[in-house]
Amino acid sequence: MSDVLTVKNLIQHFPIAGSRSVVQAVNDVSFTVARGETLSLVGESGSGKTTVGRCILGLINPTGGDISFHGEKIDKRNNVRGKNLLGKIQLVFQEPAESLDPRVRIGVTIGEPLRSLGERREEREKRVREIARRVGLGEDSLYQYPAELSAGQQQRVGIARAIITNPDLIVLDEPTSALDPTARSEIIDLLIRLQKDLNTAYLFISHDLSTVRYLSHRVAVMYLGMIVEQGSAPDIFSRPRHPYSIGLLSSVLLPNTNLERSSEVSLQGEIPSPIDLPEGCFLTSRCPFVETQCRAEMPKADDIGGGHLVHCFKHDNVIDEEKATLDYFERFQEEAEKLLISGQ
Amino acid sequence: MVENSEAGTILNIEKLNVSYPIYEADPVHALRGLDLKISKGEIIGLVGESGSGKTTLARSIMQLISQPGRVDSGRIEYDGQDLATLNEKELRTLRGNDIAMVIPNPRTELNPLVTVGMQIANVARYHLSLPRKEAKAMALAMLEAVQIPDPLRRFKAYPHELSGGMAQRVVMAIALICSPRFIISDDATSGLDVTVQTQVLELLQDLVQQQGASMLFITRDIGITAHYCHKVAIIFAGEIVELAETKNFFNNPQHPYSVMLLSAFSHNPKLRGMWSKAAEAPPEGASGEGCYFAPRCVRASDKCWAEHPLLRTSGEAHGVRCHHPVER
Repeated sequence: MSDVLTVKNLIQHFPIAGSRSVVQAVNDVSFTVARGETLSLVGESGSGKTTVGRCILGLINPTGGDISFHGEKIDKRNNVRGKNLLGKIQLVFQEPAESLDPRVRIGVTIGEPLRSLGERREEREKRVREIARRVGLGEDSLYQYPAELSAGQQQRVGIARAIITNPDLIVLDEPTSALDPTARSEIIDLLIRLQKDLNTAYLFISHDLSTVRYLSHRVAVMYLGMIVEQGSAPDIFSRPRHPYSIGLLSSVLLPNTNLERSSEVSLQGEIPSPIDLPEGCFLTSRCPFVETQCRAEMPKADDIGGGHLVHCFKHDNVIDEEKATLDYFERFQEEAEKLLISGQ
Repeated sequence: MVENSEAGTILNIEKLNVSYPIYEADPVHALRGLDLKISKGEIIGLVGESGSGKTTLARSIMQLISQPGRVDSGRIEYDGQDLATLNEKELRTLRGNDIAMVIPNPRTELNPLVTVGMQIANVARYHLSLPRKEAKAMALAMLEAVQIPDPLRRFKAYPHELSGGMAQRVVMAIALICSPRFIISDDATSGLDVTVQTQVLELLQDLVQQQGASMLFITRDIGITAHYCHKVAIIFAGEIVELAETKNFFNNPQHPYSVMLLSAFSHNPKLRGMWSKAAEAPPEGASGEGCYFAPRCVRASDKCWAEHPLLRTSGEAHGVRCHHPVER
């Protein structure tokens, strides 16, 4: 698989007006996304997930580091608005209703990216019809206004607008968090189907871990602007090694009373402010395993095989091997399948 | 697991109908004959999708249905007292003192110009008629009770200076300061991160149980109810379609809608294919009095289109409103 996107040592700091303090939103983030692959960025709010997405789109200029798209550097001159990359990287927003112009008909909204590319009108209309069919929007809805559609359908419009240019990469910033569970699973299905058909790479930004488990190939866990652990989705979910990942995964409340939540690691308190970053490892204020070494220096990435990277001095003894291999999401799936099939 | 200790009903809702009229169109019936009984000391989770009537129910209990919405019929009895017979002054004493609400979006609901400590203290001054100094001391104690770090400093903070999790704790302090006997939580933890959410939920559960109060916990996330509620009620189109003890519900969900919700959560395409379908138009000559879920139900029969099902309670107090409940 060839890499569509390579992010290397990305740093993004925002100065605070009228003060010398700096918001250190992203601190040395590196990852790659391959063709047809979904990489999910997960983490709490304030961990810098969205900022990474915005840097890739060229909406903000990073303080440091390199972002390259098909080996070509994205910077001030060469970004998504420039001729080279126009339409190649697309974005789907969190709030479908707010990301659509309330006074523009759906069909026009979907065709707008083609207009920026200078496509002729007949061609545009043909493509809009074709794409609308693909995402499951009826011909009638092309003449409707956003307010006339349900939230799920509005998000289909958002997706149609993103894929109409045949992008190589789509940044999906929490595309399902505003949706009800049934609409959410429909949108996720659609995204998976489109990825198979078009071989698009997804950067999926989310804090909904059960959705992430279901659609990602690889997962990167972010904390305070750093990727503390990354690896294949099965590795992260069944063999998490970083205390933060373990704490995050065990906080998810699955609808099953038989699965006791693992309390191996319970994260107390909240994510610290990105203005005054702690010395050493960023998790020291919440980690139950913290030692002197952790307070003194930042742990380097440790490759524990298969591209599974962990930033932790103690990842070998954080959790005992037997418990670490329990994938609660997997067990929930199995139980749900047994239970819900039995009634049919 | 949580234990249900006390018996006796604290809140009894009978055949509640609430509608919102629409100009030159049929009114929207937000609640349609909703029945719900909540016992003392019980935490009941109410789960439904957007538009199912969850918030309307919370507002009708508080007697705060905003115009032009109105309660068409039905009764809400709190501790044996019909809430509709109370005047505004009596209601004001009841709200806050007896029934309190934990609201979502704490940052927009708190007054941005008043320190959070004073916002908590003002509740105590008004409802408990405490002098300023004592109210302040009580507010400070409350900030400690909701486990806000450094409460002395936070007392003087303004809402924008707090994180989402901390603002949610402040809202909880406001709701709980008068030791209410009944608490409504309306999607109160939906804006929080999972790690903070579990902390807030555990705290809320502890405080409710310490005070011996009851709680109606409204949420879209069915996962929460599995871990923090005694009972689960599923609301669809303004009525309760399934009601059971939490363990019974999750081990044996019987309404096709509940099963559909659970399968949506599992993301499993096979399960979802089995239990969901696109909404269907009613057959020719359907009376329009059938089951509200029939258009989306994989088990819908002619009977479902013709006759509205009643909530039937089977063994172990498991109520289901369905002609063809799922049997295992």
